[in-house]
Amino acid sequence: MTVTFRLNGEDYRFRDDPMTPLVDILRQERFLTGTKAVCREGFCGACTVHVDAEAVPSCLKPVGLLEGCEVVTIEGLSAGHQALHPLQAAFEAADAVQCGMCFPGMVMSLSAFMRDNPDASRADIKAAMVGNICRCTGYERIVDTVADCLAQQLHTAKVAGGAGV
Amino acid sequence: MAQSMERSFIAAGSIEEAVASRMVGAVVLAGGTWLMRDPLRGVELPEAVVTLHRIPFLSEVIIDADHMVIGAGVTHEALGKALRGIAGFEALVGAAEGAANPGIRRVATIGGNLCSIDFAEADLAPALLACGAAVELETTSGAKRIDIADFLNDRRALLEQAILTKILLRRDLIASAHIRLPLRKAGDYPVAIVSMALDADKCCRIAVGSVEPVARRWTALEQAFAGEPGGFPRDAERAAALAAEHNDFQGRDGTEAEGWYRLQVLPVLVKRGVAALRATEGLA
Ligand SMILES: Cc1cc2nc3c(=O)[nH]c(=O)nc-3n(C[C@H](O)[C@H](O)[C@H](O)COP(=O)(O)OP(=O)(O)OC[C@H]3O[C@@H](n4cnc5c(N)ncnc54)[C@H](O)[C@@H]3O)c2cc1C
Ligand code: FES
Ligand code: FES
Repeated sequence: MTVTFRLNGEDYRFRDDPMTPLVDILRQERFLTGTKAVCREGFCGACTVHVDAEAVPSCLKPVGLLEGCEVVTIEGLSAGHQALHPLQAAFEAADAVQCGMCFPGMVMSLSAFMRDNPDASRADIKAAMVGNICRCTGYERIVDTVADCLAQQLHTAKVAGGAGV
Repeated sequence: MAQSMERSFIAAGSIEEAVASRMVGAVVLAGGTWLMRDPLRGVELPEAVVTLHRIPFLSEVIIDADHMVIGAGVTHEALGKALRGIAGFEALVGAAEGAANPGIRRVATIGGNLCSIDFAEADLAPALLACGAAVELETTSGAKRIDIADFLNDRRALLEQAILTKILLRRDLIASAHIRLPLRKAGDYPVAIVSMALDADKCCRIAVGSVEPVARRWTALEQAFAGEPGGFPRDAERAAALAAEHNDFQGRDGTEAEGWYRLQVLPVLVKRGVAALRATEGLA
């Protein structure tokens, strides 16, 4: 079967088993190895990508359901020559990353969350991370960074709004 | 990577087409969050699959003054959003927003939750039992409505010949609550679940999930509640005492908890449930 979808802004045509999990195509066919296959059952979040702008686990997504969809992976969030996504830059600046295994998924989940929840509380941030497991950091620095990043985002929006008055 | 180039994969454009595929052996694929884990359980993915995502009415939630209709393809996230703030349906919102994790909730459907036959921990099953739901199935001879309890008990046979299309609810509830106990606060399946719903006559339906293989109503406790002065326990402590006295469940042993433990926690969950009911808008 042939399935056509957009992958990181380009058309992609897949011709094979429609029940193939998206994560396998990303890693084995497209060599987009930022997306990790860890638990393969929806618990760890390391395989999170955006499908039609929603953060979802790619290990449980059969490619047959992707016809016409827009898929973005960590590699597509900001390509090499572009500025990092503000959350990626903030994680780097805060030295929040340890082994890094969980971070592509963490960034994909939390970047979509920040876009949709600009006023999120600390508790909201923690609730949004329930499906992203990190064995190294103890989470607090990640939560701190997201909270700082959101505050910065609000401040920038306020300044931009004020400048227009 | 490919398991079979020959796999049949039909994106049904109508429910009739989906039922016709089911009748010749195709397995229904909704969000895929349960089905895609079959290989991890040592089960091969089906040779023939029919998807429902191109059938628009299955993704609708229709709320009118007296009734509510939820399409089987509505995701947990969409269900929580649609019902949040509607008095009486706190249990359904709690089940939809408390299950699994955000990424799964964006994909997993209510139909998939109810049709995962060997999944004892399904949150929506006890919540819908407490809310008095019925379900609609599409068969080759048309639509068929049945009570949710009958569906849960008979679904293995029913789903051989039918597809779950809708969940139907009356809007006669004033308050409901869904209390789940995972071992850790987040990310685990619940060890035990108590859902409760109260109508305007203070008639209380209580359902329990994850304790036995299939969720069911706790009718002995419902009757004990009704026998109290005023038809409802005077406080949460009294409710817990009645729950301990009328505990007639057979706890199922599982990797995350043994049967006795699931039974032991039920009175506490009932206590929390009654406290949550009292805190709702409908009873304030
Ligand atoms: C990491 C993880 C954590 C989870 N935690 C919880 C939890 O805490 N609480 C909870 O309740 N659930 C939990 N679940 C289970 C989850 O709710 C189910 O996987 C999900 O609801 C299945 O829905 P789906 O749309 O993905 O179904 P699918 O995987 O597509 O299908 C599941 C089954 O239902 C059948 N089916 C689907 N729709 C229909 C239909 N309309 N008619 C007939 N048959 C149909 C399919 O043939 C298949 O047998 C968890 C799942 C995961 C992966
Ligand atoms: S690999 Fe997909 S959630 Fe763990
Ligand atoms: S940094 Fe190592 S798992 Fe998160």
